[in-house]
Amino acid sequence: MNYWPVKALLCALLTLPAMAWAEVCAEDRRGVQVCLPEPAKRIATLSPGATELMFAAGAGEKVVAVVNHSDYPPAAQKIPLVGNHTRIDLEALLALEPDLVITWVTGNPPAQMEMLQELGLTTFAIEPRTFEQVSGVIERLSVLAGTEKEGYAEAQRFRAGIAAIAEKYRNVEPIPVFYQVWETPLMTISDDHLIGKVLQLCGGLNVFGDMPRLVPRISAEVVLAADPHVILTGSVEGTSDDELDHWKSYSGMTAVARGNLFFIPASPISRPTPRLLEASEAVCQKLDIAREN
Amino acid sequence: MIRSLSVLCVVALLAVLLALALGSVTVSPIDLIAVIQGEGNALHRTLLWELRLPRTLAAFATGGLLAVAGALMQVLLRNPLADPYVLGLSGGAAVGALLAMLTGMGTLLISGSAFAGAMLATVLVFGLAHGTGSWTPSRLLLTGVVVAAGWGAVITLMLAITPSYKLPGMLYWLMGDVSYARTPWPPLIVLALSIVLVLPLARNLNVLARGPMQAAALGVSVRPLEWTIYILASLLTATAVTTAGSIGFVGLIVPHMLRLVLGNDQRIILPACALAGGTLLVLADTLARTVIAPEQLPVGVITALLGVPTFLYLLHRSR
Repeated sequence: MNYWPVKALLCALLTLPAMAWAEVCAEDRRGVQVCLPEPAKRIATLSPGATELMFAAGAGEKVVAVVNHSDYPPAAQKIPLVGNHTRIDLEALLALEPDLVITWVTGNPPAQMEMLQELGLTTFAIEPRTFEQVSGVIERLSVLAGTEKEGYAEAQRFRAGIAAIAEKYRNVEPIPVFYQVWETPLMTISDDHLIGKVLQLCGGLNVFGDMPRLVPRISAEVVLAADPHVILTGSVEGTSDDELDHWKSYSGMTAVARGNLFFIPASPISRPTPRLLEASEAVCQKLDIAREN
Repeated sequence: MIRSLSVLCVVALLAVLLALALGSVTVSPIDLIAVIQGEGNALHRTLLWELRLPRTLAAFATGGLLAVAGALMQVLLRNPLADPYVLGLSGGAAVGALLAMLTGMGTLLISGSAFAGAMLATVLVFGLAHGTGSWTPSRLLLTGVVVAAGWGAVITLMLAITPSYKLPGMLYWLMGDVSYARTPWPPLIVLALSIVLVLPLARNLNVLARGPMQAAALGVSVRPLEWTIYILASLLTATAVTTAGSIGFVGLIVPHMLRLVLGNDQRIILPACALAGGTLLVLADTLARTVIAPEQLPVGVITALLGVPTFLYLLHRSR
């Protein structure tokens, strides 16, 4: 009996999944299923956080376009710039011929994002707001870039690190904390922000945690009324750390009386990336000192 | 007259070609011709047809609209310091646009809100200035300035309460940004139609510049003419601001620059304003997107930096 039609049919059926598997898909923040015919080779990242996340996903060499302030990891500083995250140079971006563009939902200008869609570029929108979303986004970016092995490993390392810190500080005594994002105007964050979640992780009680806005602008009076036991702020490399000096005149504040005015590195805590682990360790360490004081 | 207008036409065309050639990616003249003929590589084709040409044409139209509106306002109010925004129009448009941005609407609705705001501002000033009996230019100007200040306060309020991440977008709109323009056809059509509409009235405008009494004595129907000019100038300004945000300086200075060179005949000045205003904004926009590329500057900065020395030079030369 002639089995070759059967063999041919079997071969065809076996190659079908392989052809389907060459395509990579992932769901982005807008709920859009973004698919590429094959893993991306030229990736543009339109926020410093996205650049870091792409490197974390193991696809650093594939990034061909970044925006201002993409300073971590150091290798990212050599990648060509296409403007600022609030104002992209569309011509420069097009000239670099990316096949995948990672956008930031609230950071990139909506008009330019619409333009990118009209020009036919494949965009993937991200906006991680929780630790689980950070690891999730690293995994999805690695799928699109074809670097699942490194990406999933990094995501798992991050998850395990956060879980370890959560476990360590689970039964610690909560301490009221005020995180100063900016001095003038005085800005802080609510518990919905990643910085707020870092504070919670370390057993900190954000005195403005339940404010309706993500980044509320407040006055010194409200801070005095809330009387936190510790005040934290980010320190930028190369600048003098004097943003907390204005609190020192209020000697009645618990935080000031106990000397609990601390700086932590600004960059790791301000971006939704695996460096939140370092940031959490720094914050937890300062809160421990504050509890001792 | 024909000679000066044709010189301006040639300059305008050269400016547009320059704008198409320059950018973050330079397109040489050979490539430019290839793309126009339909060949040329895909990147140049996309750059030209989808990014640079709409942007350049929108910049030309906006500049022309603002300059013509400025010239009309200066005639209407008989005041050399009048510009398209003096009656609070850009303030109203800004409030409309910022409100749309605050509530998270898409770009089309933002433009629509800006236009609605501008029209509301026009009607408001017109209604308030009317008072009992007729309105004079000084009454209109006073009302307009005060209402503009009111809009300014509302804008400041909105900037103060908006969440931080929406601020950059709002600030760029207020500074003026031609890249917002998605299609150049509405402003181009409005500009062309307005020139066609206003040229027959230009001779009467020359007479009106001498004063309403004299104009009436010379047979000009002053009141209808003033209303027409006011509505037309408002429409032009509203279109310009809806297209590219509030770009300053062009409406005030371009008419004066042209008057120094061409004299004060509105039949020449109005079309010349359209051409010269467009050219200025096209050159300013080209500079704004190339001078510190890939950083993008707002075009209003460049119009002032280009316009001030040019104007001072012309003023000096005319002594």
